Amino acid sequence: MEEKTICAISTPLGNSAISIIRISGDKSLEIAKKYFVSKSLDYNFIEPRKMYLGVFSNQDIEEKCMMVYFKAPYSYTGEDIVEFQIHGGEYLAKKVLEIIAGNCSLASPGEFTKRAFFNGKISLDEAEGIIDVINAESQAELKSAYNLSSGRFNKQIVEFQNMLKNILARIEVALDYPEHDEELITTNQAKEALKEISNKLHELITNSNSGERLKSGVNIAIVGSPNVGKSSLLNSILGKERAIVSSVAGTTRDTICETIIYKGIKFNFTDTAGIRNQGDEIEKIGIEKAKKEIELADLILFVVDLSRDMNDEEIRLLNSLEKDKTIVVLNKKDIAKEKVIKNYETLAISAKNDENINAVLDRIYKKAISNNIDLSKIVLTNMRHKNILVKAKELADNALNEISNLSLDILAFEIKKIWQELGKITGECETEEIINEIFSRFCLGK
Amino acid sequence: MEKEFDCVVVGAGHAGCEAALALARLNKKVLITCLNLDSVAFLACNPSIGGTAKGHLVCEIDALGGEMGINADETAIQIRMLNEGKGPAVHSLRAQVDKNAYHNRMKKVLEDNENIYLKQAEIVEVIVEDKKVVGVKTALGEIFSCKTVIVSTGVYLKSRIIIGEFSQNVGPNGFASANSLTQNLIDLGFTIRRFKTGTPARINGRTIDFKKLQVQEGKDNIGFSPLSKNQNKNVACCYETSTNLKTHEIILKNLKRAPMFSGEIKGVGPRYCPSIEDKIVRFPNRERHQIFLEPESLSTNEIYIQGVSTSLPADVQNEMYASIQGLENAQIMRNAYAIEYDCIDSLELTPWLESKAISGMFFAGQVNGTSGYEEAAAQGLIAGINASLKMDNKAPFVLKRNEAYIGVLIDDLVTKGTNEPYRMMTSRAEFRLVLRQDNADSRLTELGKQLGLVSNERYEIYKSKQALLNQMRNKLETLIKLDDRLKTFLEKNEEPIPKNSIKAIDLLKRNNIDIFKLNEEYGLFDNSEYRLMETLNTEIKYSGYIKQQNDEIEKLKKQEQVSLAEIEDYSKIKGLRIEAQQKLNKVRPETLGQASRISGVSPADITVLSIFLKAKK
Repeated sequence: MEEKTICAISTPLGNSAISIIRISGDKSLEIAKKYFVSKSLDYNFIEPRKMYLGVFSNQDIEEKCMMVYFKAPYSYTGEDIVEFQIHGGEYLAKKVLEIIAGNCSLASPGEFTKRAFFNGKISLDEAEGIIDVINAESQAELKSAYNLSSGRFNKQIVEFQNMLKNILARIEVALDYPEHDEELITTNQAKEALKEISNKLHELITNSNSGERLKSGVNIAIVGSPNVGKSSLLNSILGKERAIVSSVAGTTRDTICETIIYKGIKFNFTDTAGIRNQGDEIEKIGIEKAKKEIELADLILFVVDLSRDMNDEEIRLLNSLEKDKTIVVLNKKDIAKEKVIKNYETLAISAKNDENINAVLDRIYKKAISNNIDLSKIVLTNMRHKNILVKAKELADNALNEISNLSLDILAFEIKKIWQELGKITGECETEEIINEIFSRFCLGK
Repeated sequence: MEKEFDCVVVGAGHAGCEAALALARLNKKVLITCLNLDSVAFLACNPSIGGTAKGHLVCEIDALGGEMGINADETAIQIRMLNEGKGPAVHSLRAQVDKNAYHNRMKKVLEDNENIYLKQAEIVEVIVEDKKVVGVKTALGEIFSCKTVIVSTGVYLKSRIIIGEFSQNVGPNGFASANSLTQNLIDLGFTIRRFKTGTPARINGRTIDFKKLQVQEGKDNIGFSPLSKNQNKNVACCYETSTNLKTHEIILKNLKRAPMFSGEIKGVGPRYCPSIEDKIVRFPNRERHQIFLEPESLSTNEIYIQGVSTSLPADVQNEMYASIQGLENAQIMRNAYAIEYDCIDSLELTPWLESKAISGMFFAGQVNGTSGYEEAAAQGLIAGINASLKMDNKAPFVLKRNEAYIGVLIDDLVTKGTNEPYRMMTSRAEFRLVLRQDNADSRLTELGKQLGLVSNERYEIYKSKQALLNQMRNKLETLIKLDDRLKTFLEKNEEPIPKNSIKAIDLLKRNNIDIFKLNEEYGLFDNSEYRLMETLNTEIKYSGYIKQQNDEIEKLKKQEQVSLAEIEDYSKIKGLRIEAQQKLNKVRPETLGQASRISGVSPADITVLSIFLKAKK
């Protein structure tokens, strides 16, 4: 089977000494030659199954690494394979993968194994196993895509798609109902809409670069009223763990994000501004952000002050949180008696005395595992999303450049491509959706 | 009298006529029956053929050797190319035809064919033995034996018309309905559904004040088929008017008497062909709705009132039509009505329109849940071809989605099914840019020739057109000298001046230059080759986009070639999600490509299927 070239990170993400990035397909070697620089390498003859020492480099990166080439059919997939062994660490692996993915496609769930099977590298007995792998990986990817990017991200993509669908429907009506008498669309309107989408995509892509929205790992929001001990809790957690990866701080009333790795899993803690209804402008902005963080979070630590009863506002806030995602942390156990909050998973601690902080981490870890957040897939999913956004923006910009020369049938073709590209994230890409849009918006027919 | 046929075609509407002619032209003995021979190829609604996407279908039918295109051309009384200026992919021909002449001519073509026996009869039973068609039985008790049957009963199965509180078990225009065949289909295991459609009133043109209306004239003396000799296609006019607030008020006041809202009508109606009461309820903010007046025939004054189909009671119809500008004193000759009818579930058919359950039993046209003459004719043609191929023990003829609108239509029907009368639209064709009217013959005529359906005359016309196109293509390779003439030409069109002489074809790639401007300046071609110049212009200007679509087609090809015929039960395939199993078991797709288009079957399911197939080998 002749197939496109694919790439993926084949080692688990998290803390490890090395990461392996694997490319499979006809273009593997060509891609490798583009980035791998080595004195010991004869570019005209790269010996299969020999480990070369060199540097992976382009304008952004220069990384010492090992490269090995497997010539088809003597490889795992039966195709040409190149593997890069680079230093461990998720950032680096992602960076290298991103560069490589600029030249080929990211592997779909189970794709390496699938190719191995189709090329006769795996016996028939294993076929069922592969199906399980593919199903499991697809599900994990779907789930992680959902868990991590649902809410704001997904909503935003749906919004873009709706905008596109709207223009598309108007163009299609003009094409399929030439005698329809409403003014449907002008080139300028299409242009404005495309511009808006291009700008918003740009914003989203930029944000994903800074890791704000599409960050990988398990996102945990620490939520509660002011002064219940949210920051102390975060400090205690960080104090327990030395492996601080990054620290991005805003103003004191903004959200603060800290990342730790615990038992090999990356957790991003966000200390949100205390949520209450009064407050000045700056605090309001902080609260808005907090609400968004809650939406994005995979898990929520809801912090309560044991030394006083919960007030109405806190009860309302707690009720608004998803139960499955929430752990109620009862703070100030050192000065008050423990109590039970019905229907919620609770844990009493003292942030001040670092009491029970390990239990918090354990509880989070278990919940992350039981909520089935498959971490190795998260990075890939997010990267796939980012690639889709980049591609969609490219398509939008191309259409914009040419728009004054495009006849309506071509404009529809261009816009549909963008809509379908974004559909890879949301799953909406059936032509029937556009036809539904047409008939729900316009009064048509003889 | 003969009692044995290769095929019996049940119903002589637009599907039945194409089916019978295709079979006859492939040398099969055909009996085609019709409840009333005065309704052969009857245009029960609009007196027009073509329009967006439908024009494409007609050109394709013609390119394959079908009859609709030439029949429409020969009986056209006005013809127009719609969508000029919106891009060549959506240029669409529409002809107003003389409804009586259309019927008469098609009937005569059937009568003149030696392989066809056209007979007025009601088929009440398709006789099946061992899941195979062996014959049919008429209401009069006659039995005809046959190897194949094509059911093309249109809207005549148990049809009922509704006008306000009045309803009657008849077909369109008061023609009798077929009331026995439905039960036979149920007994044979088919799922029966009830669909609905409607038609507006016909008004005596003598009582219409045309002076108050906007005229729409035809302008292009072109046609669907190069075989037509009719050089005078524009002898009648259409007119435009609209509803107004008063019309809407009348309708709203009487809404409870509309069967659509009183619950009297249960059938599923099409969204794209709503009744006027539907339009007003769904789009309350619109102050007017467009209306087109179309002449039914040169031999009658009757005018078709496009845009005002309704099932409101007769007294409301009188008041409502009279509220429309130009129709103040109009006499309604035939009232508008809604019609309900039985149809089957097209998911029970193969991509060559044969029943999956009963061998030799084909279905085509509105009985499959579609709407429109052109959609019906296209299916009739394909069913006819495939019934013939089956009797010759040859592989079925299936057009792909990238080959023809006909392919899109039938693939949609047998893969996705439809819950309302299905209308063809250009937006349903994902490869719209390559499926144009102007290249219908280059897409299909060779195929039609191989089938034996395309006449020598039609084929010769096609060949000489291709030859001429090639000549013209070669001419575009001409080098145009870099002189003052070229410089002035380019400056006038705001295009940069090249360093050297330049080929005509490269000039055409410039945004501001098209083949007509080029020809005006350099006179490369005879202006009478306008349509061919347009084709060339499209080929060159669209080449980038066409290439993108072709690449996409190439990618999908592999999946289209993987047969799923051997899979008996999808629920036994481990790893397929339950929803996918159920859908696949229902549709029973022929190829992996078809499977991938079923809603509810995910890419992961397709991978699972391909692994299963590989493992089986």
